[in-house]
Amino acid sequence: MNKKLMRLGFGGFALAAALAVGPVVAQEPVTVTWFVGLGAGGQPEQIEAQNAVVEAFNASQSDIVLEIQIVDNEVAYDTLSTLIASGAAGGGQAPDIIGPVGNDGSNAFAGNYLDLTPIIESTGYDLSQFDPAAVESFRQVDGALVGLPFATFPSFLYFRPGLFDEAGLNYPPQEYGAPYVMPDGTEVEWNMETLREVGMMLTVDANGNDATMEEFDPEAVEQWGFVSQWNEPRGHSTLFGASSVVDENGDAQLPQAWTDAFNWFYNGIWEDHFIPNAAQGGSDLLAAGNAFSSGRVAMGATHLWYTCCVGETNDWDIAALPSHNGVVTAKLHGDSFRILNSTDAPEAAFEVLTYLIGEASPTLLAVYGGMPVNEADQPAFFAGLDERFTQGVNWDVAVASLAFADSPNHEYSMPNYLKAKDRIGAFQTLYESTPGLDIDAELALLVSDLQSIFDEVDG
Amino acid sequence: MSIFSPDVARDFPGEGTLDKRKSRMGILFILPWIIGLVAFTILPMGASLILSLTDYNLNTPTEINFIGLDNYVNFFQDPIVGVSLGATLKFAVISLPLAIFLPVLLAALLNSEFLAGKRLFRLLFYVPYMVPVVSSAYIWSGTLNTETGWVNRLLESIGIAGPNWMYSIDWIYPALVLIGLWGIGNAMLITLSGMQGVPTELYEAARVDGASYLRRFRHITLPMISPVIFYNLVLSVIGLFRYFETPFILKGPTGDPGNSTLFFNIHLYKEAFTFKNMGYGATLAWMLFLMAFTVTIFLFTTSKYWVYYSSGDKD
Repeated sequence: MNKKLMRLGFGGFALAAALAVGPVVAQEPVTVTWFVGLGAGGQPEQIEAQNAVVEAFNASQSDIVLEIQIVDNEVAYDTLSTLIASGAAGGGQAPDIIGPVGNDGSNAFAGNYLDLTPIIESTGYDLSQFDPAAVESFRQVDGALVGLPFATFPSFLYFRPGLFDEAGLNYPPQEYGAPYVMPDGTEVEWNMETLREVGMMLTVDANGNDATMEEFDPEAVEQWGFVSQWNEPRGHSTLFGASSVVDENGDAQLPQAWTDAFNWFYNGIWEDHFIPNAAQGGSDLLAAGNAFSSGRVAMGATHLWYTCCVGETNDWDIAALPSHNGVVTAKLHGDSFRILNSTDAPEAAFEVLTYLIGEASPTLLAVYGGMPVNEADQPAFFAGLDERFTQGVNWDVAVASLAFADSPNHEYSMPNYLKAKDRIGAFQTLYESTPGLDIDAELALLVSDLQSIFDEVDG
Repeated sequence: MSIFSPDVARDFPGEGTLDKRKSRMGILFILPWIIGLVAFTILPMGASLILSLTDYNLNTPTEINFIGLDNYVNFFQDPIVGVSLGATLKFAVISLPLAIFLPVLLAALLNSEFLAGKRLFRLLFYVPYMVPVVSSAYIWSGTLNTETGWVNRLLESIGIAGPNWMYSIDWIYPALVLIGLWGIGNAMLITLSGMQGVPTELYEAARVDGASYLRRFRHITLPMISPVIFYNLVLSVIGLFRYFETPFILKGPTGDPGNSTLFFNIHLYKEAFTFKNMGYGATLAWMLFLMAFTVTIFLFTTSKYWVYYSSGDKD
């Protein structure tokens, strides 16, 4: 009985001591949540790499516990919206860091990002390691710096040498400024008009006629010359020059170069037939939407991230994008991580952010397919790609494309962004699926509708 | 004192206690369902009603304001509401008659004494209903593709240029109806069971009187299965109001081509989950409920003029 009493007494004392002293001597680590799903990060090898990065971070220190939440891209926007809303309602479930995410994904949550400037100043974080222009691309109109450079995805022209050989055509130039050599040996400027001509020669029907021939049957096309792969209209039109549908006053506009671009694309689909229409693009013939990977399209303009999905065959290389009015524009995608302004632990979140874009970046970039912003890291990155694509891709083109990045970026934010983007998407379906349109009238209607959509938030 | 008077309970005190105990046990047994109903139906409905009176947007969750009936006023001024109701109506004009009469015709066929292999045909007609709507939508999307779909290839083989099913505003509704008919097996089976429940002596009497097959069908079968037709009609109309899965799987929330698949529910989804406009989305949901409720009440009101209940029960 005495022993029992003694045990109880010691036990009670120990419990009281633990309760009294515990909070003082054992500082609880801060939990930082990293939300993945708005861009890359959902593929099995990416999930594995991300988990390894989290484990390595947690093992390296004891002040911060990094937790990762990976959500399928299809539902990531809805999930994050709900998490942010529940956090705002006091549920406290909003993540601290989101990413990797590009401009387009970021625009959907504009106004929710933490301005990193005060933390960068207080921690003395070295921004000189980045290209100043790359840093500035994350600065908002109000001066807030909402991200730091991580991965870039330049765009260029993928092409299939086998299809060029079959048509007896020379390959597109792999140096910016170089001319295109036509079959008769004449050198012409590598511009959008040349691309159209070459594209038509590479477009073939079931009888073997190409799109320049009178006998060509547009109802029986089996091979196409060109596709702007997985791009939305603002991306298509950027081939003709960098601009925006928003002017300096915040009103809707359509620059002449983009009007030219949409006419070019529309005619390319419905008159010259070297660009697949929506039905053709969605058919099994063109891999149900992944046209270039089908092997039936000779040229595809898209980004470095397309190495994810370029297909089984290695019959492809990359070339320079053509110019328009003497100017080349190679639109640029850039992914990074962002801290939400609802975070309870901004300093800890910033520490994680710098870890992800620093120490962890080689691991992550390798699986995301993003080109490192630091030149020193690029050779190793391309060596990794060469192991996957053994045909000897000329990656110098990718690096050279950076010099022609679009400014303003084609994914530049718009007022009432989601609705405006939805309207632009409807225009894309219209011109890709409807022959006989008055495309200029449709463009005028687009601008008018965009203005109404912008006015909804201005009013 | 009558044994039916209320004083009986006082004379037999155990009865009242037993009833109360039984009643408590009954409530206890249905309590899980009641909790589910309150938590997952009543409360969300109440919440959505409150949301419909606010400008709640998931993109700016902290800026929620009570705006009274503004969302309901906006509903009547929203041009997309007209577009989406128009799309739903156009689709209904084609699909509703087929959804009602085709099951009757198929059931009549499968109920015919002259058809061999009835069981096999019943199975064949019913099996597609078991295919998940996602799978069937994707399968039909490939089947109706203008380039590689076998429907157009079949038409081409007989010299007919196949239509652009999925990208033409003229052909998208027939395409959707075709996809919808794929799942008609359930309605057909219910109608068939209704036909098999018609007393055979009615047909025999009609035969003796010299009634032809068509007259027997018109004057015996149809009236006798009218409750089943009414049931199918109500379900089809409600189904039209909540039509979502197939157009969403095929076209997402885009409404392509040319807003022709922007059905009312797609508009609702787009407002709530694409534009994150939860307040207005909740308003659309309530208006949808009111419209479906009104039409259903209308159908029930008219049923007394054309639905025959052999028991005389019209409730």
